[in-house]
Amino acid sequence: MSSRFPILARLAVRNLRKSLRRSLLTGAAMVVGVGLLAMSRAFAEGGHEDWIESGVRIGTGHIALQAPRFYARRTIEHRLGPDEVRAVLAALRDPTLADDALEVAVRLELQGLASSAAAAVPVMVNGVEPDVERRFAELDTALEQGRYLEPGDRLHAYIGVKLAERLDLELGSRLVLTAQDASGEIAAQLVRVAGIFRTGLPEMDERFVQVPLETAREWVGTQGAATSVAVLLHSSHRVRGVQRALLERLASHRDQIRVLTWQEAMPALEAAVKMDDFGDYVFHVVTLVIVALAIVNTILMSVLHRTREFGVVRALGLTPGDTGTQVMIEGLVLSAVSGVIGIIVGFAVTWLFWRDGLDFSGMMGDGIRGAGVMLKPVFYPQFTPRVLLQSFTFVFAVGVLASLYPAYRATKIEIADAMKFEE
Amino acid sequence: MTPRAPGHGISGLFRRPWWRVGWRNLGRNRRRTLFTASGLAIGYCTVVVMSGLGRGMVAEMVGNGTGILSGQLQIHGLEYLPERSVYETLGGKEGTDVAALVDRVAGDPSIAAAAARVYGGGLVSSGDATVAASLIGIDPRREPEVSSILGTVYEGTQLTEGSNQLLIGREMAIRLDVGPGDEVVLVAPAADGSLGNDLFRVSGMFSTGLTELDGAVALLPVDALQELIALPVERIHEIAARVADPWAAPDAAERANSWLISDLVEAKATAWTELQPEMVFYAGLFESMEWILLVIIFAMAVFGVANTMLTGTFERRREFALLLALGAGPGLILRSVLAEAIALGVVSLGAGALITAPLMFWWHEAPPDMSWLYGGYTMAGGLVRPVLRVEYPPEMLWMAAVALFVTAVLAAIYPALRSAHTPPADTLAGR
Amino acid sequence: MRAGREFPQGGRPGGLLRTARGARLLVLVAVPQLDVPQTPPVYAQEGPAEIVDRVDRLLRGESSRGLVAMRIVTEHWTRSMEMRIWSLGTDHALIRILSPQKEAGLSTLKAGNEIWNYLPRVDRTIKVPTSLMGAAWMGSHFTNDDLVKEHQLIEDYDVEIAFDGVRNGVEVWEFDLTPKAEAAVIWDRIVYLVRVADLMPVWARFYDERDDLIRTITWSEYRTMGGRLVPTLVTIEPADKPNERTAVQYVELEFDLDLEPAFFSLRTLRSRDR
Repeated sequence: MSSRFPILARLAVRNLRKSLRRSLLTGAAMVVGVGLLAMSRAFAEGGHEDWIESGVRIGTGHIALQAPRFYARRTIEHRLGPDEVRAVLAALRDPTLADDALEVAVRLELQGLASSAAAAVPVMVNGVEPDVERRFAELDTALEQGRYLEPGDRLHAYIGVKLAERLDLELGSRLVLTAQDASGEIAAQLVRVAGIFRTGLPEMDERFVQVPLETAREWVGTQGAATSVAVLLHSSHRVRGVQRALLERLASHRDQIRVLTWQEAMPALEAAVKMDDFGDYVFHVVTLVIVALAIVNTILMSVLHRTREFGVVRALGLTPGDTGTQVMIEGLVLSAVSGVIGIIVGFAVTWLFWRDGLDFSGMMGDGIRGAGVMLKPVFYPQFTPRVLLQSFTFVFAVGVLASLYPAYRATKIEIADAMKFEE
Repeated sequence: MTPRAPGHGISGLFRRPWWRVGWRNLGRNRRRTLFTASGLAIGYCTVVVMSGLGRGMVAEMVGNGTGILSGQLQIHGLEYLPERSVYETLGGKEGTDVAALVDRVAGDPSIAAAAARVYGGGLVSSGDATVAASLIGIDPRREPEVSSILGTVYEGTQLTEGSNQLLIGREMAIRLDVGPGDEVVLVAPAADGSLGNDLFRVSGMFSTGLTELDGAVALLPVDALQELIALPVERIHEIAARVADPWAAPDAAERANSWLISDLVEAKATAWTELQPEMVFYAGLFESMEWILLVIIFAMAVFGVANTMLTGTFERRREFALLLALGAGPGLILRSVLAEAIALGVVSLGAGALITAPLMFWWHEAPPDMSWLYGGYTMAGGLVRPVLRVEYPPEMLWMAAVALFVTAVLAAIYPALRSAHTPPADTLAGR
Repeated sequence: MRAGREFPQGGRPGGLLRTARGARLLVLVAVPQLDVPQTPPVYAQEGPAEIVDRVDRLLRGESSRGLVAMRIVTEHWTRSMEMRIWSLGTDHALIRILSPQKEAGLSTLKAGNEIWNYLPRVDRTIKVPTSLMGAAWMGSHFTNDDLVKEHQLIEDYDVEIAFDGVRNGVEVWEFDLTPKAEAAVIWDRIVYLVRVADLMPVWARFYDERDDLIRTITWSEYRTMGGRLVPTLVTIEPADKPNERTAVQYVELEFDLDLEPAFFSLRTLRSRDR
């Protein structure tokens, strides 16, 4: 059959052209289906990357390096000492990893009490490096009043709007933070409100305080220490690879340093994204089935119409396999051509109309909370190779699935019966 | 399959009702009809099932967000929210006849059950470990009808009225390192200024999947908590009610408020929609997704159906030409093709309903457990467990049916017009 | 006070836990004490900071034991308690409630930065967690945090004399205390009135950054007890609740006892009969 392949291919293409209108209509269904798929994949990819990114930025990064029991205990006893912090930073500077890591944030997280003359509220205090954190957690974008922390700040704090309300604080107000220090004693630290943020997440707006890292270290007496080193990667798809590489490089510190992926550190976020993905896949499979049915219909009709023709070519020496192959090629060519057009149309439309984001803010307001993350009301499509690959796989799957049955039917045509066949 | 000889005579075509014409035309190529109809049926099924899944998720979110503890409707003293001061009890300082008020609330037609609650804050301590906790006094008999938290007790036993027992969450149990039967100390500032403290026995542990409940809430019999924080039995903070259909809660709250006012009870009913507006919004978002899905699915189907109709009418072009040559008007042909489309719609809808009904039923009654794929998470403040249950979307059932017919007819317009304008002479001559 | 102390969600007993913050337990466990008769005022040469420190030291005392009646008035209830207190410097204190009967034996131990409560009813000791350090102590207008703060005033505040003269027939100094640049204190200003003749404090007013008065502590009924002159009545009043107050009345006081730090142990806390 392979020797006859070129002829069969030409026959197939000729056939599609002969019934051009039918091919075009079928193709149109495919174009719409694949176009929508490409569009929805682009938005899903963008949306999920965005969701994950917002989550990891505000949380522990794509990868978090912590003392083994910090994740469960959250107390300063379980911290990375200066040596470990140095080892982690050195490992991350390794040329093979430096390409993957976009930002590396050293943080000292402390459970404590924030007091003012008005009240006292338990809070989570994060000692951060302002310049790094501006690019990492991007909490500066949630600024409502004042300014974000800056390098060189010392007694400055960046606090949530609900905390400011409860403690009756304004910009410049005194705020006394109390927490257990490295030796287990209670230590107090004065800071002043430099900026007030509003994220829309109650746990952030009510319970979160950022202060300069060095201030926090001095306050609890842990020079050079950190509770976590958070790593933001260029792409969430590199998480496993980077985790493995880090584990390898930090093998000598295995008992002091734990390397957590965002999936391990934020299981709820992973679940939400997976659930959303699952819904998308269900939708795609359904689309696939509907489009495939349209194509099966077209090809099958054309096969039945040509029963006589097939009978003749069989009588002239083509094998059942040959006729089957011809039909298969018809189906694949039709799917491929319309599919590629669909992908191009889908991406083009998405790019033309929504490359700057699909804005739902009229409907969603400032966004919505999902798995502990504020989902922004603007969705950005992403055109990654993965999306393209998925779309092509889809097209290929539709083509093969939709051609199989008609091709099978074509192999079953008996010469004798076919000759009797009246059109 | 043997194709039939076309038609049973022109006169027949003139006389038969349109639906029989359509039906007969469909029968001409059963295989083709089968594929087209399956496309439409699957489209219908998809829209209904996906809407059902969306509603299932919303129902899950709303159900858990309101059902685990808070209830769909709450009644508080006028000044209780938002500060939740321990002194702001229902009916003011004198309190109220709790049993009568609870019965009155439960008497509303849309309210399934109601139960009294008392709230306090304090410390739970065992050995060296002490945690700050929200203490919630519940009525062990009525509470199971109102919220689902007691249903999540995975170890130990339920509370008994009037005894110093408590239920704690899984995470608190770990932090205190206690289990059923262990004694803990409860310390809580009491309403008379004293420091209430007493020994309680852990009767069991619950696990809701929500950190804020599993780590920071202790449930105890309402009378035991009242004793601990020195509140007389007629003083409670809340009556929580379950409204079987969460969306009926705002109306139920309105009804409750009107009789609370006319009975001069110093209390106010609030529905969950007011307390958790984010969830209402999220449900709305899901609903708009259903419409988008409907449009997408049937937009694809239009092309498939148009293609089939075009093939079918093309095959019958000689028949149409003959009819036109014999003096039939183009309107007749137009009608006959549209009739075919409508018949296709009927068949597809029947098939769609046939595949959708058992699927929906099964997915509603025995939802698949997806915990192998993902764990639980919170959305808009409500827990979503890894279980995919569909809820029946009543208006989607017929909206999707309408969309299906519109699709079939829309797809038939072009083929119908083409058929009506078949040039008789050329066609019959085979050119 | 605006927001109450923090308890997790729900049941936050508002008035009960609302409290003026930052007063030191010192006003409770360690009274100002001065050997009488005193030398006439020779403090004129000293700067204001030194004088305030002197008063502050008097307020801190060495070791003491006393019998105290506390009366708490809030919007919702009024109650009186009797308690015995022991103190050693600023690090150690023990308070045991004698009455009312319901709470008799309930005790609080301050050892360094930690606070422990002993509950005789259940025979247990409980350490107050950090998150509740801001909560009211025994329903009073003192917080647990007030019990552990032990910095000296002049370590945290700069002192100026705002007034020096006769008021209501008594010669007084009015000091203006403003926090030093990095002092971890919540007040923006404290105004402190002290009698010149015997260095007895009269009142202290605590202000926030909007210069709103948050609370007032008043000392009065100066008597000689245990051989020293002391203000035997201390009253704390939150400014935003004019009808609320906590009053501490000293009934008995002894000084310079033979107390060891070891006395302030969990064991002593638990023993019922002291």
